[in-house]
Amino acid sequence: MNNSVKPDASAAVSPGSNSQSPVAGHFSHLAFWQAMGPFLVFAATVLTVSLVNPAFLGGTGIAIVTGAAASILLVALGQAMVLHIGSIDLSNAAIALLGAILMAMALPTFGIAGLIAVLVAVTFFGAVNGAIVAYCQVPSFALTLGMLGIFEAAALVTSGSETIYVTKNRELVTVLYHYRLAGVPLTFWMGVVVALLYWALLRFTSVGQGLTAIGKNEAGAIFAAVRTGWLKVLAFAISGFTAGLAGITIVAQAGSASASGLGSDLLLPGIAAALVGGTAISGGLTNPVSVIFGALTVAFVPIAVQAIGISAQAQSLVYGIFIIVVVVLTTTRSRDEIIK
Amino acid sequence: MDKRKLLHGDWQGATSWVVILALVIIVFSFINPRFASIENLRNVLVQASVPLMLVVGATLVILMGSIDLSVQGIMGAAGMVWILMSPNARGGIDYGAWAWVVATGIGLILGLLSGVIHTLFRVPSFVVTLGTWNVGVGLATILYGDSLLPSLTSEALSQWPTRLTLGLPNSFWLASIVVLAGILLIGFTQLGRGILAIGNNEPLAVVNGVPVIPIKIAAFGIAGLLSGFAGILATMQLGSGAPGVGAGQLFTVIPAAVIAGTALSGGEGGMVRSALGVFLLILLNNGLVLAGVDPNYQSGVFGAILVIAIVAVDWPQRDRLRVAK
Amino acid sequence: MTITIPPVVRLTDIGCTFGSVSAIKSVSLEIQRGEVVGLVGENGAGKSTIIKILAGIIPPSKGRIEINGIICSFRGPKDAFKAGIGVVHQEQSLFTNLTVAENIDQHRSGADWMSRIGLQRWSRVNRDATAALQKVGVKLDPKTYVRELSFIDRQMVEIARAVCIDPAVGGTPLVVLDEPTAILEPEETAVLEREIRNLKQFASVIFISHRLDEVLRICDRVIVMRSGEFILDKPSKDVTREELFSAMAGRHSQESQKGHARSPKADVAAIEVRELTRRGQYRNVSFAALPGQIVALVGSNGSGSDSVMRAMFGAEPHDGGEIKVDGRRVAGWSIPRAVKAGLAYVPAERKIEGMIGGFSAAHNVAMVHPGEAAIGPIRLPHLRRKVAQSWFNRLDVHPNNVVQPLVYFSGGNQQKVVLAKWLNSKHMKVFLLDHPLRGLDAGASETVNAQIRQACDSGAAVVLIPDTIEEALDLADKIIVLRDGEVSARYDMTIDSNLSVQDVLEKMV
Repeated sequence: MNNSVKPDASAAVSPGSNSQSPVAGHFSHLAFWQAMGPFLVFAATVLTVSLVNPAFLGGTGIAIVTGAAASILLVALGQAMVLHIGSIDLSNAAIALLGAILMAMALPTFGIAGLIAVLVAVTFFGAVNGAIVAYCQVPSFALTLGMLGIFEAAALVTSGSETIYVTKNRELVTVLYHYRLAGVPLTFWMGVVVALLYWALLRFTSVGQGLTAIGKNEAGAIFAAVRTGWLKVLAFAISGFTAGLAGITIVAQAGSASASGLGSDLLLPGIAAALVGGTAISGGLTNPVSVIFGALTVAFVPIAVQAIGISAQAQSLVYGIFIIVVVVLTTTRSRDEIIK
Repeated sequence: MDKRKLLHGDWQGATSWVVILALVIIVFSFINPRFASIENLRNVLVQASVPLMLVVGATLVILMGSIDLSVQGIMGAAGMVWILMSPNARGGIDYGAWAWVVATGIGLILGLLSGVIHTLFRVPSFVVTLGTWNVGVGLATILYGDSLLPSLTSEALSQWPTRLTLGLPNSFWLASIVVLAGILLIGFTQLGRGILAIGNNEPLAVVNGVPVIPIKIAAFGIAGLLSGFAGILATMQLGSGAPGVGAGQLFTVIPAAVIAGTALSGGEGGMVRSALGVFLLILLNNGLVLAGVDPNYQSGVFGAILVIAIVAVDWPQRDRLRVAK
Repeated sequence: MTITIPPVVRLTDIGCTFGSVSAIKSVSLEIQRGEVVGLVGENGAGKSTIIKILAGIIPPSKGRIEINGIICSFRGPKDAFKAGIGVVHQEQSLFTNLTVAENIDQHRSGADWMSRIGLQRWSRVNRDATAALQKVGVKLDPKTYVRELSFIDRQMVEIARAVCIDPAVGGTPLVVLDEPTAILEPEETAVLEREIRNLKQFASVIFISHRLDEVLRICDRVIVMRSGEFILDKPSKDVTREELFSAMAGRHSQESQKGHARSPKADVAAIEVRELTRRGQYRNVSFAALPGQIVALVGSNGSGSDSVMRAMFGAEPHDGGEIKVDGRRVAGWSIPRAVKAGLAYVPAERKIEGMIGGFSAAHNVAMVHPGEAAIGPIRLPHLRRKVAQSWFNRLDVHPNNVVQPLVYFSGGNQQKVVLAKWLNSKHMKVFLLDHPLRGLDAGASETVNAQIRQACDSGAAVVLIPDTIEEALDLADKIIVLRDGEVSARYDMTIDSNLSVQDVLEKMV
């Protein structure tokens, strides 16, 4: 995953190093997927469920699915911002869980101030990831894999491997899950608002433009005076912050947090939701609004799988296949690029 | 047979490794005298067997500059297949040796699948193997279902890994054979040379007519096969089937390879060094547990070791125009 | 006696075109057994294309290749090895993590039954390598790892690999040496020269170098290439340095359109480098560019001119000396600082460094200096399109679609967008251009040159690394010639107004 920008050794020996532009057809195919794919996949999933189990959508089904989708959505949004610069954050789900545990511990004593303090802390954790990737120039997947181990251990140790119940001030967060707007819990709406904010950030600001430039061509971005180092720190910090918000939704839903309870298995669904939401693994192509549909689709998977008559346990199989299929469909492939 | 190649490339620095390992043993024996006891060291060998088998496959893949994250998933699937085809509490037919064939076959197929998708569809290996990881876990979970715990009913099988042959546990002998095979593969086959060439300079390998795609698929296949094999051994050691039988192994195997000097960018490293890396981590873990440290810290310690190791490796190569994703 | 044996290489009417550009027009060549042929020419004359065709890396568009009397069509580099052509590329092409023996064996696997079933017989591999090393007369342990070898030793291994090509084919091997001396120290060059003379006993050699003295000393015959054609082909003993220079330079030299009486707009240099040094790249390079002046840095590949320019832009570090902008010494120089100080840089590698292909043309134009398309950190897409459209009209960019990703434009139009990106700045002080015309057709080149002149007229200092010497003579007020990392000549065009291409070339090589 490391490339030196200087066009050296390979230039003279690689056949046809004057790279062929990818065909325009693939571009339009990608653009189409980017625009419509996530929604279409979501619609197909809903259709399947409603055909097999018509009662589902009528009752509290929507509230259940969107409630479950909220934490997936937030983790996926953070992941999408990191994927946008061409990196990956394997630690953000662990940060979310650690955040949830810290919040459950801080809430009774400090109330809202505790929540904010934890959000600041998890944002800092993300920034540390970004700083190491940017300034030590290590591959992000390996670094965040190591960080995943550290955060998992931190979650186990701080919680003492037990479930932390929010004994006081519980309503401060649980209201987010229990209060519904248009039949959908506030936690999910929080995700929607964050998605819109990130969309605006990417589309209308110089920071967003710089992030996109890094994802599309980091060398080009460096030569266009983009401050790649601190933008990488920012992308990972955003991932940490958003993971913290996901932590809030976990506590809001469960009223408690534990290292092996609700939200302990968000990494894969998060990545799957980002990818189904049209985010390219190679970077530079992210639409946070589409990620909303990606997260809903992924949250529907266990239900859809059950509706078709397969055991709900098959969900991780489905996530795995999802990731492989979506990445195969959406990766831009140029001939002379080396894929590790 | 030319021993120089082996001595030179792979055993380089082996003496300093021996010193480090000896230091670890001495320090921990002072903290808890039980650490250096024969029983405990045998115990360490048993604990090290599964990661030793895995690290051989992981090293092959990392030497090419790719990565295989699927070990735990494949272990789960293969282990579950094996136990359901062996004498277990759920009854069913004992397929004997066929259980081994089918289980390792599942590993091989999942590994080949990763390799094929990685090379033919040009998808980064870490994403593909993240996918196959979960495919493996999913298969294992479905097979596990919600009926009775499939515990191993054959005493001969469940005690085989810890039983001693020539003073050493059987599972360690098995792992040693795998590591030896890995050493021979890297040092004495065209496949090994091709893997090293790809890791050193892939565009150059293409120009030199190295069959890059078949070699990559083969390496992922071998890694999958070994993960399957390790899944069987781990299931035997555990005494019952569990989809999470491989839990935590990724955190042993990748840091072990990296601290042993296997560069994630490929081309550098070797089996002997990776194996020593595994021993260091297992000794460390075992020593910490005996020293009374909460086992919850384990993934944190291994994670920190991984972070420090990759930063130390990449630090000298920093350059303002270098692109690291 | 040699008459009955077919020549080692016979090229008949070889041509090679990339799109509409023809890199090689039509060349024919015969090389006899034991002959050492020197190939010289300016950058871009077509030397490297010839080598790539011989190495099987690119196929020729027309013509016939005969090796040892057999007509060949290479599908890949492997076929070229099999035919008996070994190329020592400019860049090192050894696997540093394998042994010398393994590297030499690379092109001949399958030589015994163990290899055929995928095993590596070390005894055979080492024995063959020892033989190959002995053949070229190098004393090296084949079991050494390449990473432990010095530069010259690696070069020798490459030569040994090149000469031990498949014995099954028979005939005489051809060894192509592409600028092998470019990065060698003088004493290492002497070793290499001895080696090449030794090679004559059993191989033919094509030797490419930009050092004419060496070529005349080593080669039996010299061929000069210019614009994809062989201009001169004579035995070395019948040719002089001067003759070679004028053949390389061509007729242009006398009639270039000089006399652009540009006067600098101020007397404080917009950018100045003093004693700039980077180990292994360049030493003690000093020059200054005044506002309204065009300075050309001229040198062959590996002269260090591109690294000097990158250091000026803050893209690469330097070990010694200093850079001054507007008379003030800069410290902690980086690309963002350079851009803030009013520097602009058009890199030679346009697709990799110069642009962001996946971005729309409009994004690229408004990337660095968004002008009216930005209010503070906020970017306004509709104004961005407007800004880009005005540049599209001014530079006549085709197709006229500012939202299309830049990769889908042709090279010339991409370069226009890259220029617009920097010209959109209100306060450009220094414009650094590395091969701005590379790969452009005549029309686009004209637009680019006009924009360079205009930027200069409006007060920017321009530092230019041109593709050809004529380009430098046409545009520049000052020419700085670099050879092997050091300034070998400086010309002020107001004084040296009758400077010719040949004069400059003599200082380059």
